[in-house]
Amino acid sequence: MSTIFTIAAAEWRLWMRSRSALAALLAVVLIIAATSVLTAVRFTEEREERTHQQEVAEETFLSQPARHPHRMVHYGHYVFRTPPPLAIIDPGVDTVTGQSIFLEGHRQNTAMFADTRASANVGGFQSLSPAAVYQILIPLLLIALGHGVFVREREARTLAPLLAQGVSGVTLYVGKALALAGLSAALLTPLLIMSLIGVTSGEAIGVSLAVVVAYGAFMLVWSALIVLVSAVVGTRGVVLGTLVFIWLAWSLVTPRLAVASASAAAPSPGKLETDYQLLADLRELGDGHNAGDPAFDALRANLLAEYDVDSVEELPINFRGAVAQASEADLTKVMNEYAERRMALEVRQSRHVNGFGWLSPVLAVSAASRHLAGVDLETHHRFLREAEAVRFDFIEGLNKSHTQELSYTDDINRNQSPEASRRARISPENWTVLDAFRFQPATSNQRFGAAAAPISMLAVWLTSLVVAGVFATGRLKP
Amino acid sequence: MSGFGRELWFLWRDRAAKVWLLIGFAAAGLAVVFGLMEIAAQRETIERLKTADEIERAVTTEAHREDWGSAAYYTFHLSYDAPEAFAFAALGQRDASPWKHRIRMLALEGQIHETDAANPDFALIGRFDFAFVAAMIAPLILIMLLHDLRSGERASGRYNLLSATSADARMLWLSRAAWRVGALAFVLLVPLWIAGFVSGAGAPKLLGASLALLAHLLFWWAVIACVNTRTWTSTVNLTTLIGLWLAFAVVAPAAIKAGVDAAIEVPEGGDIMLTQREAVNDAWDLPQEATMKPFVERHPDMAPYAAIEGTFEWKWYYAFQQVGDQIAEPLSIAYREGRARRDALASRLTWLSPPAKLERALQRLASTDATAALQYEDEVRAFHAELRAYFYPPMFRGEPVTDAMLAERPNFE
Amino acid sequence: MTAALEAINLSVERSKQTVLKDVTFGVAPGEVYALLGGNGAGKSTALLTFLGLLTPKSGTIRVQGRSVSDDLTAARRVTAYLPEAATLYEHLSAHENLAYFLSLAKAATDRAALDRALDRVALQPEARDKRLGSYSKGMRQKVAIALALLRDTPILLLDEPTSGLDPIAIDEFNTLVRSLADDDRAILMVTHDVYGACQVADRIGLLRKGELVGGFDRPAEGRIDTEAVHAAFAGRAVA
Repeated sequence: MSTIFTIAAAEWRLWMRSRSALAALLAVVLIIAATSVLTAVRFTEEREERTHQQEVAEETFLSQPARHPHRMVHYGHYVFRTPPPLAIIDPGVDTVTGQSIFLEGHRQNTAMFADTRASANVGGFQSLSPAAVYQILIPLLLIALGHGVFVREREARTLAPLLAQGVSGVTLYVGKALALAGLSAALLTPLLIMSLIGVTSGEAIGVSLAVVVAYGAFMLVWSALIVLVSAVVGTRGVVLGTLVFIWLAWSLVTPRLAVASASAAAPSPGKLETDYQLLADLRELGDGHNAGDPAFDALRANLLAEYDVDSVEELPINFRGAVAQASEADLTKVMNEYAERRMALEVRQSRHVNGFGWLSPVLAVSAASRHLAGVDLETHHRFLREAEAVRFDFIEGLNKSHTQELSYTDDINRNQSPEASRRARISPENWTVLDAFRFQPATSNQRFGAAAAPISMLAVWLTSLVVAGVFATGRLKP
Repeated sequence: MSGFGRELWFLWRDRAAKVWLLIGFAAAGLAVVFGLMEIAAQRETIERLKTADEIERAVTTEAHREDWGSAAYYTFHLSYDAPEAFAFAALGQRDASPWKHRIRMLALEGQIHETDAANPDFALIGRFDFAFVAAMIAPLILIMLLHDLRSGERASGRYNLLSATSADARMLWLSRAAWRVGALAFVLLVPLWIAGFVSGAGAPKLLGASLALLAHLLFWWAVIACVNTRTWTSTVNLTTLIGLWLAFAVVAPAAIKAGVDAAIEVPEGGDIMLTQREAVNDAWDLPQEATMKPFVERHPDMAPYAAIEGTFEWKWYYAFQQVGDQIAEPLSIAYREGRARRDALASRLTWLSPPAKLERALQRLASTDATAALQYEDEVRAFHAELRAYFYPPMFRGEPVTDAMLAERPNFE
Repeated sequence: MTAALEAINLSVERSKQTVLKDVTFGVAPGEVYALLGGNGAGKSTALLTFLGLLTPKSGTIRVQGRSVSDDLTAARRVTAYLPEAATLYEHLSAHENLAYFLSLAKAATDRAALDRALDRVALQPEARDKRLGSYSKGMRQKVAIALALLRDTPILLLDEPTSGLDPIAIDEFNTLVRSLADDDRAILMVTHDVYGACQVADRIGLLRKGELVGGFDRPAEGRIDTEAVHAAFAGRAVA
């Protein structure tokens, strides 16, 4: 044990004495600090801002004056997706998806105004978050500091004396790996602080720490790889070349190839295109604004029979409201089918992309990070579904008021005169059909469930690299 | 062995260099293939949309010809921004900004910001296009090819022999480096030109893109040459250069983006829609003159027909849709101009980050940048104005819907 | 007779340390001159200065009577250099290495000439098209020497030419060097090998801490006295 520690300490001492190593370390620490502070400030503000906007939207809706209920159906309402506390580490899909949805009758709108659209276009990676720094930059630092652990000894011809001392190759391997693991642990400190800030803003402590653990595992994967390559490859130049090649393949190439592969394997037609099919389906359901549409003949016949009357004017309820209610329900069913189909397709695409985690641990850790932080595709879908539930509830609530609170005669005569128009209004108490909406992050269990697959990928990567390392250094030649 | 071909032959015998060049070739090849596939898919989508739109418009037009108000209310009109032939090289903003819309005669501000976005995970990771390969991967490959040009020879004890033997040592290092830069440019540009001819992008664009790429490689060559003049070891050279790559290609763009976004305020997009919706909804409760007056100011030719009788008339309905747009206009203009100003500032600042500059240059050539997105938005606005100009006169004059008039309905082009 | 190589009151600094101090010597055509010294005595510095790779702080160096700093190209054209532990390109064969370096020197290269040179250094014909990576150290040295021969220059600069070679290879090498000198070449070699220097050199200059502290000439018959040189090298007084 003490031998292992001595070996690791020798590496640490070497880094501490190397001016370029310290400079690189300092640069990376500064980048981590800057991105952490910027991302934390930004998303703390966003959380407050969107919660505030949500409250304002609700107050505005509730403070509307007496109106025709269908006017309120079109007046509509906004819901906002509040980012989870851990968005300060990984903003995930938050920046590329719209954060608010306008809810109104007869339509499912898309989430609007993703940040990416309005902000400056500089190509490449665009913005840096702490997550991106840990996924992309830190491995380069580990390579720069760690590539020489074995090959340096080999080039300086100190490997033979070391082995001659009776130190086994495996002991050397463990010591060198420990050196890099210790460096990784030190580099994780800022991330740990960020996750604790997340805890103070209300995040569960389990998932917060799990994010740190996932990144820790990722850095161990790199450490194990670096030590392995340094041990089996002969010269320093080739070690560096190999590691830079792997970094390039894992970080830059594979993720984007995965996207290309997923869009080829599961092409998505886009909402606009499926909307045409949707429109054709909807035409068969009838126009809910037009109670005379033949599509509602059956509804009329049923209602007349139910209340045992001869004409819609005699019904105790407002037939126009009943049509609006029934047609919204039918419409929503069809729209939801399309929405679910689209979301299922997106989930399939994303699974396809995440499957490439077997080829690149960068993809595995980024998926794990998004799942654990609660900023994944599924969270966005849950937001869309919850928004739709809010929409359907208040629209049908308004339609119910339309049916019960407004007489059919007043309703059909509403355009006769300003006076008639005033009669066709219902009081603002009816607006309380709108429920308060606060978008909540997924539960810890759900997030652990979603992150299980990528985390097990990281575990397999780590195990196989360590096994390969032990095997290779067990037969270490000077 | 002639002096000119000598270093080419030498490069050919260098296995590591060949591997890196092969990687560059494969990356550029894959990138253009993906790019071609993507724009082919986008074109097909537009074709399918056009067919669907034609059918849909025919059906709705036939179903709602009782008056011009209904005809305008129920019919959607397709607008789209077909990708340029060169768009395969830089897919650019087309994943984030909309390039297809269905709009109708209602307030435009409520429609134009709809984005038919692809899978957000895709947008998050980004596309593997030629611009990405040229801007991000090519400099790394060049670094791998050049970082040990002198230090490698020094480490193997050949440096002095080479210097002492060669008639002109400076020429030796220059030609060694030049062949590598040239070879990398070659393996990157060959796929680009082939794809360019396949897609019919035209020589001027391909030439422009090639020059931009060459300028980018020359920049990196200069950076590497500066580092190589130090008598550092290959390892120190390489780590320094990768640090510089991070600074120029990753950190600088992120800083520029954050700086530009902070320096230039752009109104929240949501506020535009909110303002417009509030205006439209309030109009129902306002006296009709309150709507018609600002409307007539924009359309003086409609003044003789602007009197509204009864509580509901289509022309009043469309007038308050238009007035909704007018009220949201200052915000909308600020949103548009803010984005344009951000883009202009980003364009100036990206001189600090040549990789970002190259990506922007390629996106400009491919018409997939912010300017192109704004231009498409303008086209949609113009088309919407055309629709209004078409519908308003017969609607306000109360004319019947005729086949002859319908035949003149504008199409997006 | 003009000296082919001359150093006059030569002083050289490297990294602000004086490495050569006021050194004066010359090498005539047909003569083998050995600069003998321990580690850090400044031997290699002297060679690099003749090659124009280092600039003197003061003093003059001349190649065939012309100052190196005045006409570096001319000096290099008449000078061939054999670096210490000469490492040519391992991924190239003997033929390819020779052709490459000769092309650098803008010298003619036909295969027959290459083979004649390789014959002269006695490199096995079957190895000549194999990569240097598979060669022994002695074989690599032979290729490097062949390169120096092929340059066909009147002046040869040899840096520790026999270090790491086995005794048979050293003998072969020394014979070769002698025959080259007999062809009227001026040969300057630097070495720390007292025995080797005494075997081939016409004159030996003893270098210590950058200063020339002694000289030995070959007697008309036989060789320079190894014992005397060894004693001087070790700093002992000769009896």
